[in-house]
Amino acid sequence: MKTSITSTIEKLPTLPKWLRLRYFAWLLGIGAFVGACIYLRFSPQALVEGIPNMVKFVRQLFPPDVSVLPSLLKPAMDTVLMAAVATVIAATLSLPLAVLAAGNTGMPRVLRMGSRFGVEVVRVVPDVVLALVFITAVGLGPFPGTLAMAIHSIGMLGKLYREAMEEIDPGPPEAVAAVGATRLQVVRFAVLPAVLPSLVGDTLYRFDINVRSSIIIGFVGAGGIGYRLIVAMRLFKYRELLMILMVVFAIIWLTEKGSDRLRKMIIAEPLLR
Amino acid sequence: MLTVSKLSKVLPDGKPLLKEVSFEVGEGEMVGILGLSGVGKTVLLRCLNRLTEPDGGDVFLKYNGTVLDVAGWRDRELREIRRHFAMVFQSFNLVGRLTALENVLVGRLGCMSTLKGIVGRFSEEDKDAALSYLERLGVGHIAHRRAETLSGGEQQRVAFARARFQGCHVLLADEPVANLDPRTADEVMMQLAEITEAGGICTLAVMHQPDLVRKYCQRVLGIKDGVVVYDGKADLSDEDLDYIYDRKAADASKVA
Repeated sequence: MKTSITSTIEKLPTLPKWLRLRYFAWLLGIGAFVGACIYLRFSPQALVEGIPNMVKFVRQLFPPDVSVLPSLLKPAMDTVLMAAVATVIAATLSLPLAVLAAGNTGMPRVLRMGSRFGVEVVRVVPDVVLALVFITAVGLGPFPGTLAMAIHSIGMLGKLYREAMEEIDPGPPEAVAAVGATRLQVVRFAVLPAVLPSLVGDTLYRFDINVRSSIIIGFVGAGGIGYRLIVAMRLFKYRELLMILMVVFAIIWLTEKGSDRLRKMIIAEPLLR
Repeated sequence: MLTVSKLSKVLPDGKPLLKEVSFEVGEGEMVGILGLSGVGKTVLLRCLNRLTEPDGGDVFLKYNGTVLDVAGWRDRELREIRRHFAMVFQSFNLVGRLTALENVLVGRLGCMSTLKGIVGRFSEEDKDAALSYLERLGVGHIAHRRAETLSGGEQQRVAFARARFQGCHVLLADEPVANLDPRTADEVMMQLAEITEAGGICTLAVMHQPDLVRKYCQRVLGIKDGVVVYDGKADLSDEDLDYIYDRKAADASKVA
């Protein structure tokens, strides 16, 4: 016993060899980063020289064109509604997929692998790309954009829900199984109550992201305020642009506050009875 | 009566954990299981309601003139069997976000169809019955509180109520009082003994407190090296305990 302890202590001073290797790794990492910046033509000089241009642009933004505000309300509402509907569709479809995919719900292997693969596949395609695809199918408007966000959100929510389920304490599900409950009953009475707060949080977070996404998706003509934003920009209507940006800011801020409050309300209340 | 015959379990690495363990538990009898940590006491309990699959042996449950063979069944039949085996745990394992009453009602799921269970509509009769079990254990007043807000003693009583409501004939208790203070532990053990006697239940309790075992159990199984090395009255001597816990051997190795 004694000899082994002293021998470990004696070995400690040989560590610097490791340290040098670590040093090297750091140098390599920093070098790669700097190299990437140079490749991407990072130029602080250009940024500084461009300041007058930026100031000129910002001055052209003011004052915001308040007269367009009434015409922005409908696109703004479209944007929020698209995000909300897409999130509801995604949440509804993600829940059963996550139950099938989770490793601790005892579902047949084929279904588990199948749903995992499905969620994996839809997550890979960015929602803007999906929107472009759907626009070619059903034309411009909020429908293709909503569909695109819903499908992409399944990819994200399906994964988050599954991870939430797999992280729970295995004790209560086992106790419920021990009374003779079926697998689905175990999910209903032990798994879902435990993950409910996470599911609510994940879903509302996804809604926040979808509000932002639906603005970007509007750029490609899939409805909402994003389309107005890109048009104002193209037509150099900078004062209108500022008004639109202010509405965008308000939408994001308000929906985030709203979802925050909703989350607190839902989690405080035992919904599953 | 619960009859366990030549039950064995082999660990994934091929080492035998339980070697042909045999014993019987009578109705209304509470049997304490003693043994060192890692000796397979918990696995033994889990093999009885088949949360863990045993590698050999038989388990029979005799009640009201029927004999239930626990081995070999799957799915629906396995669920049917589990209804008769209630289990309570060291960490209680209640569903934290459900109320105490709902946790008791969960005990009835074994008798409900999947769909009926999922909708979660329990009858008023069931609710009254569940509440009465809570009241009998002195925790009726916390019926509508979430389980995660209850004290350990209260949680274990809710777990007992669930076991009673389940209508079990066997109660498997895995260190039921290990997370409780000495006074609460004593009270909970007393209630476990009452439930066992009143319900004519065969109770098996894995314990690490020989004093509580002497006080509340009628019989003791001592397990060592995968076999039952003691099966007898609960008033075991210190020598018996030393033998079960291998203390002499430990002393001997210290001297050497």
